[in-house]
Amino acid sequence: MPSSQQPSIAGSALDPTAVRPDLDDADIVRVSPSDLYETLVSLRDAGCSMLLDIGGVDYLERAPRYDVVYHLLAMPLAAASVAQIGRPRRVRVLVGVSEGEAVPSIVALWPSADWPEREIFDLFGIAFTGHPDLRRIQMPAQWVGHPLRKDYPLRGPATEATPRPAFASKSNVPAGTPPSGKVAAALQKQLARMRASDGASS
Amino acid sequence: MSIGQAPPGSNVPTPPSPAPIAMDVVERVGNTMTLSMGPQHPSTHGVLQVVVEISGEIVEKLEMEIGYLHTGIEKTCENLFWTQSSTGIERMDYLNPLGNALCYMLGVEKLLGITEQIPERASQIRVLLCELSRIASHCVWLGTGGIDLGAISTFFYTFDIREDILDLIEVSGGARMHPNYLRIGGVNGDLPDGFLVKLDALIDKFPIRMRELRTLLQNNPILRDRMIDVGVIDAKEAVTWGLTGPSLRGSGIAYDIRKAYPYSGYESYDFDVPTRTEGDAYARFLVRLDEMDEAMRIIRQVRKRLVRPGPIMIDDPKIAQPAKETIALSMEALIHHFKIVSESFRVPPGDVYQAIESPRGELAYYIVSNGNNRPWRIRTRPASLYNLQALKVMAPKNLIADMVVMIGSLDPVFGEVDR
Repeated sequence: MPSSQQPSIAGSALDPTAVRPDLDDADIVRVSPSDLYETLVSLRDAGCSMLLDIGGVDYLERAPRYDVVYHLLAMPLAAASVAQIGRPRRVRVLVGVSEGEAVPSIVALWPSADWPEREIFDLFGIAFTGHPDLRRIQMPAQWVGHPLRKDYPLRGPATEATPRPAFASKSNVPAGTPPSGKVAAALQKQLARMRASDGASS
Repeated sequence: MSIGQAPPGSNVPTPPSPAPIAMDVVERVGNTMTLSMGPQHPSTHGVLQVVVEISGEIVEKLEMEIGYLHTGIEKTCENLFWTQSSTGIERMDYLNPLGNALCYMLGVEKLLGITEQIPERASQIRVLLCELSRIASHCVWLGTGGIDLGAISTFFYTFDIREDILDLIEVSGGARMHPNYLRIGGVNGDLPDGFLVKLDALIDKFPIRMRELRTLLQNNPILRDRMIDVGVIDAKEAVTWGLTGPSLRGSGIAYDIRKAYPYSGYESYDFDVPTRTEGDAYARFLVRLDEMDEAMRIIRQVRKRLVRPGPIMIDDPKIAQPAKETIALSMEALIHHFKIVSESFRVPPGDVYQAIESPRGELAYYIVSNGNNRPWRIRTRPASLYNLQALKVMAPKNLIADMVVMIGSLDPVFGEVDR
């Protein structure tokens, strides 16, 4: 059920990318992390000038466990019309990554890889070697765990390990300060009058 | 007497003055000053924190902090049925919910292998609503972008158009912003009576409103001064930074997924892809204005085709919910209804990258199925994230006062950036 405490791990050990039918959405290249950088350089030199996206997938029971998925697009580097662009070549590069293994960062090739690489680091815990500023991007800096992993709990005490941010307990008014303002003063007066009448009647 | 001071004559003790707030917003290092804009800044169009290093009034460098609106929609979708995920997906880019839903539906339909079986009328309705959403989204951009520049009346003109469009979406789907009207295999119910009358009224009114907007804005000297040569990005940089949509077309590259990878029958409509070569904020502004006209051109063509009735849902009881009135009469219809509602349907294993042209650029979903009734992974390619990231190369050497113009000209939606 969607609201279960345990993550739903439906299906067996899998690699859907191996059994996929040809859907004609992109050319597919599968490489190992050690060959990734050279493959991307050669693809870029072959005209795939735009990095569309970098995404991560956790297959949990498969070895290697993760896939980092790059999508590239062949775009001209100068002004071009619709006819000149036509149906540009789209390439998908899949990299299998084991637990604890690092992937070379491609920020030097495409500056736009900065945020998506940080996002995969944040949500999957995959490190990118050579990234200039590898830190969490979506989750708070003190967060523990990587939420898009399949074994990350959907609910539960995950917040215990995450301290409340400092600003949540910060206030300009020192603790124990009596309430102020016209309304508060009027209430105090009223309270005093009630106390006085109580004292007189008893 | 200020509030907080005790009234004269009362014996309420005077509270101590509040401790001064630490001024860690501004920091000086050498000749430059670091200034934090946001995250709660009215001109950042959402929750974006920009830490700018300025020398005098010139921006030297900037860093951005995002993630304030992270809601984990991708994670949520992994634990919902294929039919339920669209509810979350519509809420990513909240200015173009129907476009988000369409992109997801197209991807799932590709995995199911039913792309060819989608009825023509369903595709027409999808195109109509997506183009209406494009206009509505550009209206929000134009209205709020105008406010950034002090042109407050623009807001009322554009939100008048947007209100009409949201009315149309409400009539068709039942809700103004997130109708969940598109379904895997078609749309949920045909357009009701009176929809086309309302649409005709909008089609008649729109050119007049656009003429007013262009008169107000296009050659307005203040707007031109604020936008021309601000936030310039050339074609080469735009491509390497992954810009798409109007932001890329403002730099001269006519890449439009509706032309490059047509979907839902866009190849059968006659429309142009407006481009400019200047690459500044004014170019992006003009491209979006022209795009609104082109979207209306498509809508007029769809309107002509919509007169022909036809099925609006795929004829496959495993995917399409049976009509309500058949459930009481047919045992099979009842079983199919029960199965779809209680456990959805299974999608063959595989992965697909499906992209559409959203008002902000290339919106895509990389969908992985392991053959189960829930998606294994839905990765979004948010156009806003990549467009916004290019601010790092766009902003340096511009004035700090132009930051809001540049952010506005990229039209980021933070529901999509943070997801």
